[in-house]
Amino acid sequence: MSFLSPGFFLFFPVVTLVWFLLPAASRRLWLLCASWWFLLCGGPEHLLSLLAATVVTYLGARLLDRYSGRQRKAILAVLLVLLFGTLFLLKYLTFSLNLLERLLTAAGLAFSSPALDLILPAGLSFYLFMAAGYLIDVYRRDRPAEKSYLDLALFLSCFPYLLSGPIGRAGSLLPQFRKPAPFCWENLRRGLLRFLWGAFKKLVIADRLGLMVSTVYAAPDSFGRLQVAAAAIAFSIQIYCDFSAYSDMALGCAEVMGFHLMENFRTPYFSRSIGEFWRRWHISLSSWFRDYLYIPLGGSRKGRRRKYLNVLIVFAVSGLWHGAALSFVVWGLLNGIYQVIGGMTQKARDRIRRRLGLADDAPFTIVLQVVITFLLSTVAWVFFKGGSFTHSLSIFGAMLIGPWLTRPFSAWGLDLPELVVVALAVLLLLAVDLFSVLRGSPRQTFFSLSRPVRWVLALALLLSVLIFGVYGTGYDPQDFIYFKF
Amino acid sequence: MRTSKWREPIFALLFLILAALLIGLLSLAFRPVRVDYGAVWGPYLAEPRDSLDYLYLGSSYAYCDVDPVEIYDETGLTGYVLAGPEQTLSQTYWYLREAFKTQKPSLAVLEGSALAFQQYQSYTQVNVGYMPAGLNQLGAIFTASEPELRTGLLFPLYFYHSRWKELTVSEAADALLPSETDTLKGFTPVNGVFAQIADGPFTRAPQPEEVYDENLVWLAKIADLCEKHGIPLALVFHPTYSQLPADTRERIAADAAELGISFFDWTEESQSIGITPTLHYYDPGHLNQEGAAIFSAWLGNFLTDELGLSPRAQTAENASAWKWTVQERHMVPD
Repeated sequence: MSFLSPGFFLFFPVVTLVWFLLPAASRRLWLLCASWWFLLCGGPEHLLSLLAATVVTYLGARLLDRYSGRQRKAILAVLLVLLFGTLFLLKYLTFSLNLLERLLTAAGLAFSSPALDLILPAGLSFYLFMAAGYLIDVYRRDRPAEKSYLDLALFLSCFPYLLSGPIGRAGSLLPQFRKPAPFCWENLRRGLLRFLWGAFKKLVIADRLGLMVSTVYAAPDSFGRLQVAAAAIAFSIQIYCDFSAYSDMALGCAEVMGFHLMENFRTPYFSRSIGEFWRRWHISLSSWFRDYLYIPLGGSRKGRRRKYLNVLIVFAVSGLWHGAALSFVVWGLLNGIYQVIGGMTQKARDRIRRRLGLADDAPFTIVLQVVITFLLSTVAWVFFKGGSFTHSLSIFGAMLIGPWLTRPFSAWGLDLPELVVVALAVLLLLAVDLFSVLRGSPRQTFFSLSRPVRWVLALALLLSVLIFGVYGTGYDPQDFIYFKF
Repeated sequence: MRTSKWREPIFALLFLILAALLIGLLSLAFRPVRVDYGAVWGPYLAEPRDSLDYLYLGSSYAYCDVDPVEIYDETGLTGYVLAGPEQTLSQTYWYLREAFKTQKPSLAVLEGSALAFQQYQSYTQVNVGYMPAGLNQLGAIFTASEPELRTGLLFPLYFYHSRWKELTVSEAADALLPSETDTLKGFTPVNGVFAQIADGPFTRAPQPEEVYDENLVWLAKIADLCEKHGIPLALVFHPTYSQLPADTRERIAADAAELGISFFDWTEESQSIGITPTLHYYDPGHLNQEGAAIFSAWLGNFLTDELGLSPRAQTAENASAWKWTVQERHMVPD
């Protein structure tokens, strides 16, 4: 079930209503059952995988608690191999075998990879990372093993973040499950507004831009340079709106029920460097990699070379987490390389800026850095969206060679009225994001307005989603980009 | 204190009502206005209460072949064709329930080609989507509509919101303003002659047994409904060149008799009615406007002479409206 499927608009009010009506002791069981039902709607195989993960994680953590020293380390290793081995088997085995086939064929050895038809359970990458993080926390004695299977299962299964994050931490979520917040009108309003804003970003902006991006990327050679470049920029906006929309809806649902989840996006395209971008983009994943991979690898504590190597390792793994294809690895590595080059040229760039008389925090410097960061991430996104390394290169080729414009607007996948709508919607998004950077939370400001003004704005947003949103017959509500991961 | 306790729920409720009203208005405004080809509910509901002598239901055969204005001109009977494209019997059942809210006709005529339809045909979105909102529409959505269409039928913006690019103010106004009676009375004239009609008659394949049985269940429900309202029901097959096999029609006749429904099979009566296939068939199934005029005049006489229908008293205003409609229909265009 997706947040935008018709069934969810029945599921969520019922689950929330019962959640608040039930006595505290039964609430967690209700939420767990509802979350499992939420996943079961996609097919029993999805639920089975989650159930297995919760059992392994629960028992594994209890075992970890009992042992110390090498045994404890060995148990953790076995558990992580189990979790990541499952992830490898279901998500990366086909890719690995294909890669092996290509390598062996290049070496003159005959090997034909078997055609595997493995099902990738929904949300697997997300809840396995949550489980692994929890087990490492227990291993480090940062927290005790959870005694209640119900609580642990709920931590891994709670429906708002089950399919696409944010990747939560036990330390933050378990106490909220144990002591649920009472119903609060403020939470209801704030949560629903956030959900609506997410729906606006997804349906009005992301899915509309997606039509254009898919059209151009399917045959980049038949479009002009400007059109292909515009499609690349459009994809940067699309993926931000798509994924942050999901996070907004997840956080909104959770807020209605009285939970506070980790913020996943903090206006990442206003970042002044790629390093900062990754501290503001998919924060729950970036911080997971920081805490459970980058720092254990040594972080920046073992010299500059090792730090750069660690950065490259983390970003290569992050790329692979996003998808089992070389283009994702290239995308991840490219982001790592940006940061390595950024680190290596930091002093030189500072010197040049000083010679040009540009202060570090001068508006021109900031805008320039933001624009450069956006363009660098846009270049990287081409590999992400391209599907294959060679197709990505052909997209870059189409940006550099050929006529500037080849086709009329209507051939882009969007006609003129739709381009106007999406342009206005992006301007609104920009205004809201800019407001949050310069003036603080737009939601806070919204709720300080008088009731009639709030109602007009909320209804206008609702109606614009209903009128200008891309949905209806033929629309797939499961089509969130990050669902695939 | 009491005020503050209820303040938020009341405002929340008000907001919900306001949002629902706006969504309802938008749904009406975005849905294309429907004036012909069946499922024409707006003008039907505008007919004066209990003013119709007969109600004609069925598929496109009904709304293409039957012209209530011709029948009125011939006999003085008032009626309306409340049919829909490929309207299934399950949909007809809900149509009748809704239709009987405002009219109590002396006769309900059901054009029976739907007995050879599948459970779902191709026009559920139109047939059910244009029903007036209410319990009967909900019934039709959940018992007479494909599951995959139910979201859009419950929430019409799902189907029609992308019309924002083409919607004009006048079209939206037409959709939002209350309908008035029309001059077609549910009839849709089609013009032209089917070139290969001489190759006919053509045979339609009947449905598998289980589909037919399901259709019979709905036919029985329709018969029960009419009986409950004290309205006789007649099941008819129009003169057509797209014919069900004779043995199928014989079986239908027997099943109709078992259900206590009067059945009239005019499938092969074209010649006796005065229809010339090479002149009067738009396609093998439907009569063109000229053929419809001939058939409707004949049908009017059948209703009065054979079924004993007689025109009910009308208000002067409604009588004059019908007469004006006849004049307009027979007006020779410049």
